Amino acid sequence: MITLLSKIPQDLFGAAGYIFSKYGSLFFFGAKNTLYIALSGTIIGLIIGLGIGILRALPVYDYDSKLKHWIVKTVRIITSVYVEVFRGTPMMVQAVFIYNAFLPIFKNSKLLAGIVIVSINTGAYMAEIIRSGIQSLDKGQNEAARSIGMNNTQTMIFVILPQAIKNAFPAIGNEFVVNIKDTSVLNVIGVTELFFQSTTVAGIIYRFSDTFFVSALIYLFLTYSTTLILKYIEGKMQISGFDGPSSQTTPLIKGHYKAKEPKQ
Amino acid sequence: MIIEIEHLVKRFGQLEVLKDVSLSVNKGEVISIIGSSGSGKSTLLRCINLLESYQAGTIKFESKDILGSIKGINQYRAQVGMIFQSFNLFAHFSVLENCVIGQVKVLKKKRTDAEHLAMEILDKVGLASFANASVMTLSGGQKQRVAIARTLCMEPKVLLFDEPTSALDPEMVGEVLQVIKSLAKEHRTMMIVTHEMAFAKEVSDRVLFMDNGIILEEGTPNELFNHPKETRTKEFLQRFRNQ
Ligand SMILES: Nc1ncnc2c1ncn2[C@@H]1O[C@H](COP(=O)(O)OP(=O)(O)OP(=O)(O)O)[C@@H](O)[C@H]1O
Ligand SMILES: [Mg+2]
Repeated sequence: MITLLSKIPQDLFGAAGYIFSKYGSLFFFGAKNTLYIALSGTIIGLIIGLGIGILRALPVYDYDSKLKHWIVKTVRIITSVYVEVFRGTPMMVQAVFIYNAFLPIFKNSKLLAGIVIVSINTGAYMAEIIRSGIQSLDKGQNEAARSIGMNNTQTMIFVILPQAIKNAFPAIGNEFVVNIKDTSVLNVIGVTELFFQSTTVAGIIYRFSDTFFVSALIYLFLTYSTTLILKYIEGKMQISGFDGPSSQTTPLIKGHYKAKEPKQ
Repeated sequence: MIIEIEHLVKRFGQLEVLKDVSLSVNKGEVISIIGSSGSGKSTLLRCINLLESYQAGTIKFESKDILGSIKGINQYRAQVGMIFQSFNLFAHFSVLENCVIGQVKVLKKKRTDAEHLAMEILDKVGLASFANASVMTLSGGQKQRVAIARTLCMEPKVLLFDEPTSALDPEMVGEVLQVIKSLAKEHRTMMIVTHEMAFAKEVSDRVLFMDNGIILEEGTPNELFNHPKETRTKEFLQRFRNQ
């Protein structure tokens, strides 16, 4: 044991190199789980968020029935409780609570527990992202769709959501990046993600700063490459808006379509 | 008669915007609506298209109350086209898709048929060569012509225009008015809210002057523009001439 420890270089980078080469597979295993949980949690969270976000942005009109008004109001209250609770409490607390509340289900699969926790937590944020994406659209889009006879569902699916999701894409992607980092709190219930694995390694060699320097670099690598990929996709999405004739003289306005202010 | 409005009352909270408006629109008639800002012109059109609810009165379309059944509202709307001041084109679609989506989703037409009609109508408004362009790349005048094409593709029985040229640069007003004039020649039923007096004079069968939530005066273009009876109408037209 003494000989092992004495072989570790004293300087930070030297030590980091040594730790990575010796325990790389442990880090790799953790990083893989971290990515796996973050990605599935973000995707499932997005699906939850879409559902809840749409429910929260559901329009009611005066001519709709009393029952519909009542249902929409109730749905708004229930969904806002979900959103507020999960945005207003730390994910670490949510993790401990949910894991123990459903212990029989999760005892043999902490990975599943991790995914469920991250999904529910992300869903609350996504719901707000989607709702504000929907509500930031010019109301003329909704009116134009209704004026050609589309019902609420058609308006939502064909007109509102494609634009809302496109506008919200940066925020949605950001949730993924945040999740890569925040899965570290799942360490509290013993999910073998990157933070948990780092603790294990540090425990073996008694070198905390050096070990967590390595895990910081791995986290940074994961978040930074994710950010680059997301930026690339974002760029693609904007360009796809332009497929007009090349003889076009009017300038291409990037991003949102903006109607000119009506003249008085 | 295609549209009959009886004793229509519209309030926004305490503010009474339409006060007992009654109006009949004949098939094939072109009606222009003029009046000062805030007089309720847009609100009247929006009530007819059911983008606004109303508190009292009835609107009948082909002798049936338009509020008859909630399910029917969407079918009804498809028959009454609305053209907005700010175009409201679907920003994520190409010009062609803007004209196709309603036919496919609302009228349940086959895509090939829908595209065929869309191209025909785009050609009519002079934009067939822009079919695949993104609407974001168009000029204001082009956007409004696409918006008109999108509405025409639904083959509506009535067209409602809410200040179709007010958001346009002056040099683009002409191309849009030209399209509307050609529609008038086809004897389509149209209601046009406009501040373009010369245009209103030229295309209308009847002109309504709205003031403070009521139709204060109506008549042929000649009656209303050259021999207005009401003081308020005279004042309004006077103000316009001085501008
Ligand atoms: N959604 C709304 N909520 C509250 N008040 C409204 C709303 N829409 C319109 N109003 C009010 O109703 C009145 C009539 O508005 P409307 O838009 O019909 O006028 P207009 O004749 O079209 O005027 P303009 O020439 O400026 O377009 C105005 O006083 C306006 O402020
Ligand atoms: Mg108006």
